[in-house]
Amino acid sequence: MSSTLRERGTRAPGFLPPDPRVEEPYRFTPQMALRIAVLGVLAIVVFAALFFRLWALQVISGERYLEDARNNQIRSFRLLAPRGSIIDRDGAVLVSNMPGTLVQIWPAALDETPVFERDRLLRRLSQLLGVRFRKVSATVEERLETDPLTPVTVRADVSDLKAAYLMEHQSEFPGVQITETYLRRYEQGDIAAQLLGYVSEISAEQLEARAGDGYAAGDRIGQTGIEAAYDGYLRGLPGLGQVFVDALGRVTSEREFSQMPESGENVRLTLDADLQQAAEDALAYGIRLAHDQGEWAADGGALVAMHVGTGEILAMASNPSFDPSIYVGTVEQRDLRRLAARGANYPTLNRAIAGVYPPGSTFKPITALAALEEGLLAPDEIIQCTGKEVIDGQTFMNWDPYKNEPMELTTALANSCDTYFYDVALRFYQRPDSPLQRWSRKMGFGGTTGVDLGPEEKGLVPTPAWRERTFESEIDKIWTSGDSVQLAIGQGDLLVTPLQMTRAYAMIANGGKLVEPHLVKSVEEPRNEGEAPVVIRPYTPKPAQEVGIDPYALRIVQEGLYDATHAPYGTSQSVFGSFPVEIAGKTGTAEKFVRLPGFAGLRDQSWWCGYGPYTKAEIAVCAVIENGGHGGEAAAPVALQVFEHYFDVEPGSYSATIQESD
Amino acid sequence: MATPAHRVARPTKAQTAAWELGAFLRHVDYLLLLATAALVAYGLYVLESVTRNDIAGDPDYYVFRQLVYVAVGGFLFVVAAALDPEAYRRVRLPFYIVSLGLLVVVLAVAEEVRGSKRWIEIGFFNFQPSELGKLALIAILAGFVAERRHRMNEWRTTLGVVGLAVPLTLLVFKEPDFGTSLVYGACVVGALFFGGTPWRHLAVLGVLAGLVAAALLWFLPSAGVEVLEPYQRERLTGFVDPDVDPSGSTYNVNQSITAVGSGGFDGRGVANATQTKFNYLPEHSTDFIFSSLAEQRGFVGASVLLLLYAIVVWRGVRIVAVARDLFSAVVAGTIVFALLIQLFINVGMTIGIAPVTGIPLPLVSYGGSSMITTLIMIGLLEAIQVRGRLAGR
Repeated sequence: MSSTLRERGTRAPGFLPPDPRVEEPYRFTPQMALRIAVLGVLAIVVFAALFFRLWALQVISGERYLEDARNNQIRSFRLLAPRGSIIDRDGAVLVSNMPGTLVQIWPAALDETPVFERDRLLRRLSQLLGVRFRKVSATVEERLETDPLTPVTVRADVSDLKAAYLMEHQSEFPGVQITETYLRRYEQGDIAAQLLGYVSEISAEQLEARAGDGYAAGDRIGQTGIEAAYDGYLRGLPGLGQVFVDALGRVTSEREFSQMPESGENVRLTLDADLQQAAEDALAYGIRLAHDQGEWAADGGALVAMHVGTGEILAMASNPSFDPSIYVGTVEQRDLRRLAARGANYPTLNRAIAGVYPPGSTFKPITALAALEEGLLAPDEIIQCTGKEVIDGQTFMNWDPYKNEPMELTTALANSCDTYFYDVALRFYQRPDSPLQRWSRKMGFGGTTGVDLGPEEKGLVPTPAWRERTFESEIDKIWTSGDSVQLAIGQGDLLVTPLQMTRAYAMIANGGKLVEPHLVKSVEEPRNEGEAPVVIRPYTPKPAQEVGIDPYALRIVQEGLYDATHAPYGTSQSVFGSFPVEIAGKTGTAEKFVRLPGFAGLRDQSWWCGYGPYTKAEIAVCAVIENGGHGGEAAAPVALQVFEHYFDVEPGSYSATIQESD
Repeated sequence: MATPAHRVARPTKAQTAAWELGAFLRHVDYLLLLATAALVAYGLYVLESVTRNDIAGDPDYYVFRQLVYVAVGGFLFVVAAALDPEAYRRVRLPFYIVSLGLLVVVLAVAEEVRGSKRWIEIGFFNFQPSELGKLALIAILAGFVAERRHRMNEWRTTLGVVGLAVPLTLLVFKEPDFGTSLVYGACVVGALFFGGTPWRHLAVLGVLAGLVAAALLWFLPSAGVEVLEPYQRERLTGFVDPDVDPSGSTYNVNQSITAVGSGGFDGRGVANATQTKFNYLPEHSTDFIFSSLAEQRGFVGASVLLLLYAIVVWRGVRIVAVARDLFSAVVAGTIVFALLIQLFINVGMTIGIAPVTGIPLPLVSYGGSSMITTLIMIGLLEAIQVRGRLAGR
């Protein structure tokens, strides 16, 4: 207090140094005034700076920032439509949808996050959802560069528990969004797995290839089989729209659709689910049967059952198979590795259309038809069937080395006499224009069948020109008599698919018309339960082509095939002879060079192709068992089971035994 | 014995008290009082609209708590105004030591909140010793320069001021609370400046401070020594060039500028202020409350706030001039300077003209310690004003 000063009442005299005990009164100095003025100026400067900056931001550039603020919170989304169902010819559902929970992450929401924090978040998220961190992280980083506004799917089949956890801890997972989705559901287990195919997220390459078709990153598309071939119908139209979100990516508004999602169409197959099941069971049975016969290497097979007049495929089986549900949601690497393992023997391969085999003796009817048409053979011409034949210094065996009797064509077919066909082959060999190959092509070999499913193998019909083109050494380039001999009995370089064979036998059965095989009956719009579905687009196959074979020639070959299953000397007589419905068909035992673990050499591919009923054919069936031994041992009993099922014949109501013949 | 006629009757105690109260009330700076009250009221209003959507089902959560702090702060404002500033000069050393102790305690026992230890929990109130430390620092520095007013030309005095401030500042820096340690630095500058330190000392200190800053931000990091946390350094350097954004450290600033800019002239209103509502704006109840205000109320609303502050600063500058003694003048000058710097750093960072350092906007940001300390400081200004006027200045 200043009173202390006054009480002491003294001031230091000017000529003495200041007494430290004496305090001077405080004087407001000019220096202090100056410094206060400086503070005042500083205050003016500070407030002026703040006001000018505010004016610039809010009044001059306000519109621009308002726009920024609005864009901050709008996110466009793409809602995948429920995919159409795949049903069999009678409406039984094969593939449908089930609801799933989809967890996605918006790369844009992580744009501002430091890298280490982004990694921590993604690591935590991928751990929680059980997906690979590196894959998620790589996708997010890549999307940040290219397209940060499209969400990255982390996992599509998240359990309710984990979804609930994410919902509760959303603040810890910025940019993560949880939506409902649809997942594929395989109603009948792993039936027709290769044929139906699977659905998974579109890859960058696929997206590029389909640019302009309305696909976008994150879409799921059919990858193989019917799912891929009919993706355009099945996928429907995705919903498009916008939502408002907060800084953590939580949706704060109702979804506004600019385009409502439209469900995909149903695809009705020509397939008969029951027959398909029977065919798959039959293949497994055929492989077991082959093992029982000592054919230890039997490890796969294929079967096609087709309507002879229309080309509708009733069953198409391929063994080994796989469980398509492993592709639902997120694919486990473990499962993919299992499928790709060597011992798995390519379970995803649809052997009916993409497996190529030498047809063996099942090809003899084609050789016979070509020879008859070319006038190289008369139907009643007698040729001696011997145990072996030496042609140009090379010895060719008959499958039955003790045979020695004269035969006409029907007998030779029924007996499957090789030497008979060697003689026919030599007649083809004399002709410079390769007529057998020409007729083979006409009957659908060496080219795709046009089935509405991919990818299809063409197979191979060897010609002199092909040899010339393909081989290096001068000797290999020459088409020899041996090549013609091999071709005539379906051996050598000839390769066919089971579907091509089925189609050729259907042609024999239907009077010489080559049908277009197909799997889809129609595309339909589903209706409410109880109402008939509306067919949007029926499948219209190309009209069956007339191959131009003389009906008489066909008649002879048909008889030969009938004898093969009914005459005492027929190669599958013991299998089909007492079957209540008349079946005609041919066995085949095709040697093929195979590499198996611990074995490399020739193994017999077991074939049987045929049709029934003989007089009024409905269905053609071709079965092949890989490394299955003789045709009558494995493939014929397989086909028999399919006929049993198709014609509703009680197993055991007739007698059938396996037969060891060609 | 009768009382002589020429002698005035000795006033009773009650009369003296009434007279002193009357004198006190006559000399209070009512404009400062009104501006402060208006700022507090406006701050509550802003806080209410900014935090309305923060806690679901309890829109008034923050405002109710802030009201309690305002009540406590208002009471302490009156106490501060009533006490003679001389009291602070007398207790400055124990006050300083207690503050130092509390700052050590906070580093030792406090729990980390978002990466820093700033608060000591006392009941429902989270006490922030660094705010109290501001008062202690101002008192000890002002006391020191007032004592050595004849030796201000000596380097020992200048270095003594710096030396007294260093322990407190380092402790706050260590929490880490870079923003508050900057305000401590402002207190040092204020005390030296108003204490009468020669200009050349100030110039040398300024150059030294510049060199230290350059070393912390550029030279030492490039030599591999990190004194600042990398995020702190990036914020500071990011302020210089916001487009260089290696790890998104300028996210806050960009969102804040967007919020301020989108407010436009008259604001987007509470319901439409999406930057605040959807949490794009971080810390919008504390450090970035100015951005929210600017988004919701626009240039008009922000200007009202700045004008109220301008009044407080203007009145504060006047009070420095009317102070009764050097100690009071230095205290008042330092308070005004520190307030001005804090205001500039806080508002400046939200509009991109100051580095992001995370300090509250005085009297507006949610938080008890800052509110109470600021009210005490303005109460102190009133005390200095009244004592100065009573001393005839």
